Amino acid sequence: MTDSLTLQHLPMAAGNPPSGLPGLGLPRLLPGSGTVPVDLRAHLAEHGPLRPAGGRNGLLHEVAAAGLTGRGGAAFPVARKLAAAAQARPAPVVAGNGAEGEPASSKDRSLLWISPHLVLDGLQLAAVAAGSRSAVLYVPRSERLHGRLAGAIAERAAAGMDAASVELVTAPDRFLAGEESALVSRLAGGPALPAYRPVRGLPRLAPGRTALVQNVETLAHLALIARYGATWFREAGTEAEPGTMLTTPHLADGRISVTEVPLGASVAGLLGLDGIQGPAEAGTAGPWVPSAFGPVQAVLVGGYHGAWLPAAAAAALPLANAALRPLGAAVGAGVLAALPADRCGLAETARVARYLALESAGQCGPCFNGLPRIAAAVAHLAGPRPDPRARADLERWAGLVAGRGACHHPDGSVRFIRSALRVFAAEAGLHEQGRCSGTDPRPFLPVPTGSPATEEDWT
Amino acid sequence: MTGITSSTALWYASRATGVVTLLLLTTVVLLGILVNRQGRLPGLPGFAVTGLHRNISLLAVVFLAIHVVTAIVDPYVTIGLAAAVLPFASAYKPFWLGLGAISLDLVAALILTSLARARMSRRAWRSIHWLGYAAWPLAVLHSIGSSADARSGLTLGVLVACVLATATALAWRLSRAAREIPRAGRAAAALNRMSARKAGL
Repeated sequence: MTDSLTLQHLPMAAGNPPSGLPGLGLPRLLPGSGTVPVDLRAHLAEHGPLRPAGGRNGLLHEVAAAGLTGRGGAAFPVARKLAAAAQARPAPVVAGNGAEGEPASSKDRSLLWISPHLVLDGLQLAAVAAGSRSAVLYVPRSERLHGRLAGAIAERAAAGMDAASVELVTAPDRFLAGEESALVSRLAGGPALPAYRPVRGLPRLAPGRTALVQNVETLAHLALIARYGATWFREAGTEAEPGTMLTTPHLADGRISVTEVPLGASVAGLLGLDGIQGPAEAGTAGPWVPSAFGPVQAVLVGGYHGAWLPAAAAAALPLANAALRPLGAAVGAGVLAALPADRCGLAETARVARYLALESAGQCGPCFNGLPRIAAAVAHLAGPRPDPRARADLERWAGLVAGRGACHHPDGSVRFIRSALRVFAAEAGLHEQGRCSGTDPRPFLPVPTGSPATEEDWT
Repeated sequence: MTGITSSTALWYASRATGVVTLLLLTTVVLLGILVNRQGRLPGLPGFAVTGLHRNISLLAVVFLAIHVVTAIVDPYVTIGLAAAVLPFASAYKPFWLGLGAISLDLVAALILTSLARARMSRRAWRSIHWLGYAAWPLAVLHSIGSSADARSGLTLGVLVACVLATATALAWRLSRAAREIPRAGRAAAALNRMSARKAGL
């Protein structure tokens, strides 16, 4: 995970920062160079102690002015969640969500590894907003990461700087482990399984006890907003989607990095795509776009619940929901994957579809029956000479599954598969003729092995 | 009794709707068991069974309402409005009508909680929905006890058929529960089934 991490930073014009404020340059969340973890002393030397001016109301006001949204994927306004938490009685349990079940994303664990004190600062601020004295950090199962975070928490306790106690809770290695209701179930001592949640507002941990759940990157942004203010935060990003976000670009040569960019940054810049469209050669599924790391045929935006876009379309887009939503995609948790021209998009989609089906929590019929059936059909489509009716069948089944689960797993999975049917339509046509444009059989998108077999696999 | 007069019309209507209600309630129980065990009806997708269960429940409620209203309005025996809702408050056959009243109250609770389902926790809704299993035998006992003609002929046949069908469905449900796939293995089992089917093509 973090051993292979390479950090890239897009150069930004450095203005003249007002005194006491950091420059406009990126990165904000990760140190300027290298992957060396920032300890407490270095953290305090860089950012100074955490003294939110104006108390709880000042903090809520500043976050609302900053327009910070959740960085876990849903982009829900943080100020609204904090305001709901401030009103809840008794005070909600505050949870930092670093589960990052998405196999293609590594930004949360990178952030936890390199800048744990920004996350822990943010967790304390969320506890202040909620009026809570106890907080939880929900992180992947990794002894190294646990050891490091436990050390950071102990360092802070020794310095006496935290009002709320922080407990580490392990997230199972499951795709849905970070889903909000799954996290809440895990905190309540049960398996990390999503639950049907009819009532809007904060999720309920136990009768009469709610939880405030924020992604760990969101918390890190919170720590910076509390120090430098909303105006500083808005110096990066767009008017509608302010600030920066961590992304996990998968380059066409197979390298994976974690990069912080302002929202609205160009997708082409992140993946090294050239603006010029390559030729649609005979025997290939469609036009590809050259990139600094090899030719690219399509871009997966937003991870395994996201959507494929043709490379030429993606190269013209900014990384912002305002531009992506009309195309059926979303920024999500910042996963971007440039599929090389020599891979079969249907084979990649089939591998991921199978993984998504196996990661069903097995609770809702449309999900645990529908997704395997859909995954089997995508595998059929990825093979030689598929039945020409398979594509119509897939569309019909997708319609029967979407919106019919307790959580959004069926919806997100179907969104991903439908986008593949659109973007790789020419490839499917080739397969029906008994051909395939993929020449490199190696898998490109990361897919973990091992599916849940017992209830313990969710704890 | 040689024909239907205006005074016997209500009595007949009450009897007839009672029998139809029992048939419909039995169908609801059978479909409910099928929904609970994710069973299928030939030619229908899984969610259509859920829809059928819900719609026939509402149809049963309509017949139940007519059954109760005609019984109250019928001057042949005096059953007050209170006796229709409050168990054992009737002067006429207090025990057997009381069972019917309890059954009616349980059905009313099921309907009201299902209408408010989006606003309540799933666990609360589910626990109240389990009362459906109690409403049905109460309705059967009420049918046997409160009508003398249910002890012979066609009405007896209907009763026996309802009881046999429900008993069979319950036995099937219990046997399915015993060999249920735990949720951790459900998607994998389905994927194996699908792959086997594809290989067989």
